[in-house]
Amino acid sequence: MSDVAQKERKLTIARAMAEAVSQEMRTDERVFVMGEDVGPLGGVFGNTRGLFDEFGASRVRDTPISETAFIGAAVGAAADGMRPVVELMFVDFFGVCMDAIYNLAAKNSYFSGGHVPVPMVLMTSTGGGYSDAGQHSQCLHGTFAHLPGMKVVAPSNAYDAKGLMIAAIRDQNPVVFMFHKALQGMGWLGTEKGAINHVPEEAYTVEIGKAKVVREGKDVTVVGITSGVHHGLKAADILAEKGVSAEVLDLRSLVPLDRESILRSVAKTGRLIVVDEDYHSYGMSGEIIATVAEQGVKLHCAPQRVAYPDIPIPFSRPMEQWALPNAEKIVNSYELMTR
Amino acid sequence: MSTDIVIAQDLWEEDEDAVITTWLASDGASVDAGDTVAEIMVQKIQHDIVAPASGTLKIVKEEDDTVSKGDVIGNVS
Repeated sequence: MSDVAQKERKLTIARAMAEAVSQEMRTDERVFVMGEDVGPLGGVFGNTRGLFDEFGASRVRDTPISETAFIGAAVGAAADGMRPVVELMFVDFFGVCMDAIYNLAAKNSYFSGGHVPVPMVLMTSTGGGYSDAGQHSQCLHGTFAHLPGMKVVAPSNAYDAKGLMIAAIRDQNPVVFMFHKALQGMGWLGTEKGAINHVPEEAYTVEIGKAKVVREGKDVTVVGITSGVHHGLKAADILAEKGVSAEVLDLRSLVPLDRESILRSVAKTGRLIVVDEDYHSYGMSGEIIATVAEQGVKLHCAPQRVAYPDIPIPFSRPMEQWALPNAEKIVNSYELMTR
Repeated sequence: MSTDIVIAQDLWEEDEDAVITTWLASDGASVDAGDTVAEIMVQKIQHDIVAPASGTLKIVKEEDDTVSKGDVIGNVS
């Protein structure tokens, strides 16, 4: 006999995002969706599928190809009391709408003494691995996390994607919701089975700013986000065969950064590897290592990072694959640091 | 009794093969008739595959496998 309470309900991140948005749209009429191809097509990454059919063209709005205009419009709508979920199709396109994002959305609440909050969600795709070259493959975690006034979240699996999306929509602050293309379950962008997991049907939140230990270990802490978590888990499997017990920490949020969870884990293991598909320099990996150094956590050896080299992302498949983080590079880092 | 999960002949128009992108239920899981159990993709367009019956899912074709119209990708018993 099947047990109803335990029935498995696996979703892709794409489906989990759409489900989260639809549940909030049913209970809050201020919530609406805007962006390129978010309507009848359901989003090029599948994350707005079904919304247009249920809510219609006034609440699921296809926009012209002008991020300057429609992201500016979302900021205005949010300041005026709506709760827009607006999509920047590729994070790489941020240049033409950054004034609206970081001069207006991020700062309005501060400039108005808290009287004009901007409760918008900017959802945007990140990551590469499928030869889409230098303007469609970046992560830019550090670019957005660096700027005060916005929260930044980035899920590695469907459960977290749904809970973080609902939390983001309900948040009074602008929230940048970064989703990695290879984790969407879209086939042509690569398939990561670990991103597809059980998702309860009812609405729930995952607290923004809380990391999660996704694998416990005692010899080394591997800190990552989105794709980096899955590389870390695969590396932990390889390391386990060599008798090394790796702990994997999924940050889930870049802002606020859960420094306590990082410090707790590194204090236990005494070794740290940070994995980030964003560029090596001036980014998330440096921030995490600095956090550990500032707190004087005693380490057995120098921390390492497995991040993207400081080069524009190549189109050529062998060149791109060479540059991307992967499990083997994490294992090599461990061997290097413990040599 | 076992019911095959078959790729419908009229799911898409083109004479092309599809790829299984996602199994939304695990091998051996309990599924209900009408549940979406898999997604397949043809030319970047995704199609849902639903369970034809209620019971225990057996997966025959794995993720990333190429499948054609009429292929059996699993069964429910």
